[in-house]
Amino acid sequence: MGNLELIVEKHSERIHHGLEVLPTLRHGLPAGLGNKRWTAELILATYEMALTGELPKNGLEYKTGDSGGGFDVLGWKNNGFAKIDQNTVDLSIELNKREEGRKIEIPLPIYGGGMSFGSISLNFMLARARAAKKIGTYMSTGEGGYPDAIVPYRDHVITQVATGMFGVREETIQYAPIVEFKYAQGAKPGLGGHLLADKVTSEVAKMRESSMFTSLYSPFPFHSVYSVEDHKKHVDWIKTVNPRALVSVKVSTPTDVDMVAIGSYYAGANIIHIDGGYGGTGAAPEIAKKNIAMPIEYAIPKVHDYLVSEGVRDQVVLIASGGIRTADDIAKVIALGADGCVVATAEAVAVGCTHCGNCERGRGCQVGITTTDPELSQFIDPEWGETRIVNLFTAWSKRLRSILAGFGLESVRDLRGRRDLLVR
Amino acid sequence: MDSETAKPSKYERFKIETKPARHVYQIPNKFDVSAKKVRLAAMLVHEAFEYKLNKEVVLSRPCIYGVFGGRFGGFKPLKHKCVGCMRCVQEYPHIMTVKHSDSYKRLGDSFWTPEAVFTIWNEASTGKIPVKGMGYKGAFGGEGFDGIWTDMSEIVRPTRDGVYGREYISTSVDVGRKPTSVDFNKIDRAPSTVEIPVPIIFDKVPVGNGPIRSAVGMAAEKLGTFYISRSRTPFDFGPANLIPIVDEETIQDLVERPAAIVEYDADRADIFEKLRSALPSSIVIARLPLHEDSGTVACKLAREGVHGLHLYADYHGQDYSKQPQHISASLKVVHQQLVKEGLRDQVTIIASGGITLAEHVPKAIICGADLVGIDTTVLVALQAEFKGETRDRTNCQMKPREIDPEWGAQRLVNLMGVWHDQLIEILSAMGMRDVRRLRGDIGRSMMDAELREQSFKGIAWAT
Repeated sequence: MGNLELIVEKHSERIHHGLEVLPTLRHGLPAGLGNKRWTAELILATYEMALTGELPKNGLEYKTGDSGGGFDVLGWKNNGFAKIDQNTVDLSIELNKREEGRKIEIPLPIYGGGMSFGSISLNFMLARARAAKKIGTYMSTGEGGYPDAIVPYRDHVITQVATGMFGVREETIQYAPIVEFKYAQGAKPGLGGHLLADKVTSEVAKMRESSMFTSLYSPFPFHSVYSVEDHKKHVDWIKTVNPRALVSVKVSTPTDVDMVAIGSYYAGANIIHIDGGYGGTGAAPEIAKKNIAMPIEYAIPKVHDYLVSEGVRDQVVLIASGGIRTADDIAKVIALGADGCVVATAEAVAVGCTHCGNCERGRGCQVGITTTDPELSQFIDPEWGETRIVNLFTAWSKRLRSILAGFGLESVRDLRGRRDLLVR
Repeated sequence: MDSETAKPSKYERFKIETKPARHVYQIPNKFDVSAKKVRLAAMLVHEAFEYKLNKEVVLSRPCIYGVFGGRFGGFKPLKHKCVGCMRCVQEYPHIMTVKHSDSYKRLGDSFWTPEAVFTIWNEASTGKIPVKGMGYKGAFGGEGFDGIWTDMSEIVRPTRDGVYGREYISTSVDVGRKPTSVDFNKIDRAPSTVEIPVPIIFDKVPVGNGPIRSAVGMAAEKLGTFYISRSRTPFDFGPANLIPIVDEETIQDLVERPAAIVEYDADRADIFEKLRSALPSSIVIARLPLHEDSGTVACKLAREGVHGLHLYADYHGQDYSKQPQHISASLKVVHQQLVKEGLRDQVTIIASGGITLAEHVPKAIICGADLVGIDTTVLVALQAEFKGETRDRTNCQMKPREIDPEWGAQRLVNLMGVWHDQLIEILSAMGMRDVRRLRGDIGRSMMDAELREQSFKGIAWAT
């Protein structure tokens, strides 16, 4: 074994060991770790769940962060409900409620959000794809193309079609059980995407059919879509190329998000995916993350109520994302009115992300998640990553079942829109 | 027309030229990284055996930013290089500690957070928009500007420009009184409006020495904006861009060299008439503290004929009401009262006090301002030291440094360049081509308190 391999092995082992030791609090709570949304405790609790598949037992806070609003100020009512056996609770949701089209169910109300090849390492992408396959759910390619290495997992991979059309090819649409149109993303609503030059390696450039080490922009908006009718043409295009695919429409959360949702429904979308501003994994201007478009907590009830009032709520799936960190967040998302949710950052935390936000600096992520650096990428072994993500989702399932059983609900579908079960 | 006879276009897109202006005074390290030295030594010995004295492997460090790249490695880490990624703590939790440094945590005052100070420093230094990965990391909402989100347009948006340069988004605003109708039988002697390319001016610097005032003047001149001062000196730098605050004694000085725009303290009602007669070509702006009655006072001043209102809060963005409220709230009240009285389009509103971050500019404009003035932010960009609470406009506890005016001017130009780019990002996301359209457009914003009540309606309060 050469020195480079030894160095990678040494640091991989050390990092993996640290992810086991830190949640024990043997060395205390790391002072510089975390922030108001992802607190140190929440990060360590996620490490612990990713390690064991169980909820933390040493008092680490695993339910909420410390942001002072939204999910972090919502709690659960805790009396007057006839409990049921947790093992009887069904967490599955369907992803197509229309009469026509393929019927798809996922066993948890969760699938993985778009993180593009180039913004994340191939190994992390593979870990996510493997985990999605094992769980029976999905992960999205993001807008960076469809590397050959994930083709074996294609029955669990959502192909994203976004404004830059990077890597969108006929076969990648034909592979997909679900095609996701990304009109906007919560972390940079209305601003398109931006992959900084340092990350555009030869592999990334080849995949995106661009030049090496040149910044790549996804424009905003789709310049072929300025109306619901234009959007319908997009949906028709996908359904022509792949008639079996379900269509998801990912949008941000403007004041008229309810109108956007109903428009998407009438254009033929199976899934309306609303993405709030407080999530996101890619590089984004700080001003956009904090200030543009409403947080997902406020958008979900607005969209849900409007779809109900229009009489179409039971014909379309509402998926929410953007700052969903815990099982409790997932349950709150559903109680507020969504059918399920999309997570991405939590998967990254499961494999060692510290939420430090230095993804775009220098060589990229120091633990091999958001990087194209060939050495750093090796810190994530796809099999190890798969296990960690599956474990996290397993622990979350236990918490979700516990919440539902506490309210006497037999299915997560019965939680949808039950704001009466929440307190603030 | 052939190419030889074609005249070159005079059109130039407004652009602020930024260039690095590094910190002259050392800034504190954000993170404090340290190692338990005995354990570190033991670990090195252990790894030396484990890797059979393979020096390259043993000495490969758990940091990609070079914190342990000095001669003494982890024994004397290069703390200024630490970005808080925590990998060293992940790898060696029994040895390494990374925390926010005490000197970082002491930055600012109760209003200026350490993060805000760092943001301004870096914007002034680099001229680049702050960009980070992995989502938002701060509080959910908050008071004042923190409780406002701006709208975005999902698809109906042909004005994509952002910072990448396609269609032009104008950030120009007009200062002055606009006639509400045209009377062809009357020669209008009222001063015309002045257009400035960014909706930001430099308010009176809270404290400062000659070089600081020079830097502000030079920056205003380079940007094509204005700076406000009570004194008319120095005149060496950007006099055409000076907005003097005048009183009875200084009116006469201005008669000989009239300024395009002048301000006066609104409580001196007698001065306005004197100014109007002495300086018929100047735009006259009343400087007015925001308080409970500001709306009524603003309407009265507008009816009397002032050309603009400079509404100010204290340096923490709180107004002067008996129950102080944030400038965003009191600004809305004044704006809406002027709208109700049919006077809003006749006067320009400048808002200042608590405008400390780029996002405050569009949010203040949404709340009703035409443009904003910045004050303590200027001193922060020029690396002034915080020596206590700087809230009271008459008692600034910031200690300015000795600076080179050229350096200071570049720092301010950088800051405005970055704020301009971020303003364009916001306008672009909203699908707006012109910042003038943003004024008072509360419908294109979302307020935390209102959304909470709408969306969490039906959710019981915890008992």
